[in-house]
Amino acid sequence: MMIVLTPIREFKVPIFAECISPEVFEGKNIVQIGQLPVYEGNREKKLQELFKIEEAKTAEGVAEPAITIQGDVSKLKYIGAGMTKGEIVINGSVGMYLGEEMKGGKITVYGNAGGWAGSAMKGGTIEIHGDAGDYLAAPYRGSTQGMSGGKIIVYGNAGVDAGAYMRKGIIKVHGNAGQFVGVGMHDGVIYVKGNCDGRAGSCMTGGTIVISGFIESILPTFTFEGLKKKVKIEESEVVEVPLYLFIGDLTENGKGKLYVSKANNPQLYYYERFL
Amino acid sequence: MTVVKAVTCPVCGCLCDDIELTVRNGRIIKVKNGCAMCEAKFLSHASDHRPTKSMIRREGKLVEVSLEEAVRKAAEILVDASYPVLYGWSSTSCEATKVGIELCEEIGGVIDNTAVVCHGPSILAVQQVGIPSCTLGQVRHRADLIIYWGCDPWSAHPRHIERYTAFSEGRFEKSAWRTYINKVKALVGSKKIESAIRRLAIKSWEPAVARVEKSPSQYLSREGRKLIVVDVRRTKTAEMADYFIQVEPGKDYELFKAMRALIRDQEIEVDRVAGVPVEYLEDVVDVMVSCDFGAIFFGLGLTMGSAKLKNIEEAIRLTRDLNMRTKFIIMPMRGHFNVAGANIVSTWETGYPFAVDFSLGYPRYNPGETSVVDILLRKESDAALVIASDPVSNFPHKASEHLVQKPLIVIDAHMNVTASMADVFIPAAMVGIEAEGTAYRMDHVPIPLKKVVDPPEGVFSDEEILRLILSEVRKIKKERMEAG
Ligand code: SF4
Repeated sequence: MMIVLTPIREFKVPIFAECISPEVFEGKNIVQIGQLPVYEGNREKKLQELFKIEEAKTAEGVAEPAITIQGDVSKLKYIGAGMTKGEIVINGSVGMYLGEEMKGGKITVYGNAGGWAGSAMKGGTIEIHGDAGDYLAAPYRGSTQGMSGGKIIVYGNAGVDAGAYMRKGIIKVHGNAGQFVGVGMHDGVIYVKGNCDGRAGSCMTGGTIVISGFIESILPTFTFEGLKKKVKIEESEVVEVPLYLFIGDLTENGKGKLYVSKANNPQLYYYERFL
Repeated sequence: MTVVKAVTCPVCGCLCDDIELTVRNGRIIKVKNGCAMCEAKFLSHASDHRPTKSMIRREGKLVEVSLEEAVRKAAEILVDASYPVLYGWSSTSCEATKVGIELCEEIGGVIDNTAVVCHGPSILAVQQVGIPSCTLGQVRHRADLIIYWGCDPWSAHPRHIERYTAFSEGRFEKSAWRTYINKVKALVGSKKIESAIRRLAIKSWEPAVARVEKSPSQYLSREGRKLIVVDVRRTKTAEMADYFIQVEPGKDYELFKAMRALIRDQEIEVDRVAGVPVEYLEDVVDVMVSCDFGAIFFGLGLTMGSAKLKNIEEAIRLTRDLNMRTKFIIMPMRGHFNVAGANIVSTWETGYPFAVDFSLGYPRYNPGETSVVDILLRKESDAALVIASDPVSNFPHKASEHLVQKPLIVIDAHMNVTASMADVFIPAAMVGIEAEGTAYRMDHVPIPLKKVVDPPEGVFSDEEILRLILSEVRKIKKERMEAG
């Protein structure tokens, strides 16, 4: 069964829509789904007051519950939070905390995502075809328990603090990333194909960050480890270009690996005197 | 004519409580002990330009109305809104903030104080890594090394140095004032020599303002307090420092990292960090680890730098590392006199220090999402109440634009820019001059504010005005409930 949600009007104030999740919809008919509560600002509303809800046939044999949202839902928060199975497809932009702490299933966004997408996620996949906001996969403030599994792919750019306090899993950013990629990360892999605003891997204690584009400078608390020919991102993907390898962050007694493309970073050439 | 002693100055986070005021015919005519900012504030209460009547905007113009009418209108705006924001709070009393939070809960809005545009990042950093701090009294009596990082107390907290740090006469630490005088005298002499050299050999002369001092001042006293200043430019405070580090703008983070590595005896593979030679940093770090009690004070230069809260996190971690070798504390230089109080009251009432969202009926908090500036930038709010603050003149342009487009209520003692764009304006008494209350100093010590003179007729305190609005809100809600 697939449920299609289409916004009835333009949303202005933030909306809390934790209920938009395959598990919650599963086993309910359209009328019951329409009765699910959401908060628009400080007013309690029913889902049917905001969306036109329809049922569409899925391909034969697909048992997993699925949700498609047609339109801009950038004011909606917590879509797919905690989901464990099924699929959500959003044809438009989406608000904050997309797939917060999700454990399984898949979310695809054909648009941009707000901050904290995949916040502290544990499993499953998020694909964002536009840009991701700040704090991609980062935990709630004050927490050091970041993403601990699963996979996030961003085809556009990511904001600051992507993959903060990450413990496991993979994040791939095809565009550029803001400052502090992988701040405080313990394990896992972050791969930025574009440029990076700097301070990558600050306070990291483990894990791997690979930057294919330009990064102005490396923090002084990373030591130069040498020149590498390739690095493995995951089973099916290996980056095969010359890369500088740095180890850090020393101030946290870290053993994190920071790979930076040699070709795109001539300003880091002076490290080669340590070779 | 009466003289009122031990009055607290309601201007900056130092909350100097030794001000003496002379009052004649209900007007303050003389201010003793205060700095220039303090004097200006105390004397402003009798200004002729103070509004004393409530106003409502009708057909684009603010017209005078009765207080009851203004309160009714304000309450209606708040009840009708589905995502109102309540902003300000740093220049009013804790008692008023408390009522504000009650009001916010009642209307399901977002309450945020000015910390969001100054030391909000510091609070987030403290939540992430903790903070080793103490009271200013301890600093005054015991600290033998003072570091001002990204702040210029000489201009922004004029009496901070004199009352609490380098130039204060502590029980165990003496004032460094005399050393400074000697240094100034010597400096005047060396300037004369410099200009003589310049006249003689213009071509080979190097400008006096190098990126860093090559060595510590030769007039540095061996004993007594030492002062280190780190800033992007040579401020007035930096002039007084024993060591001045001029950091490249936006590179404080790297500097913290390097200092931490040096303290931990780790090697640095570059020669310069943030434009500062590593050798010079080693000297400074030496002074830091060899002191008995060090205190780091930081300001907006850090919190608003490019790394924002990460700067503060790193500053706190630096303090933590220093504590492995000696005793060190760290403290933010809070700007408005009661911004610390606004955070504290908010914390004890809701669990969170600022940016608290009550729209779901219970407090939620996540700056970036629930902070007023971000809400305004995303154009999400649909009404606002601003109290004792002037956001229009310091928020980003886009945020101010949205703020004034939606219904706006302003409670303030003066007709500031925000007030002049309000839909409802209610004049208030000046807290600490015409109304009493409590405020928290930057080191979280509560200090009572005095009522010295009476407010103009018909003008009430923030707390009283908020109570009126709160009871009106409750009345309207009840009316609507009964009407179904
Ligand atoms: S330093 Fe601050 S609190 Fe003290 S008198 Fe000056 S303005 Fe007032």
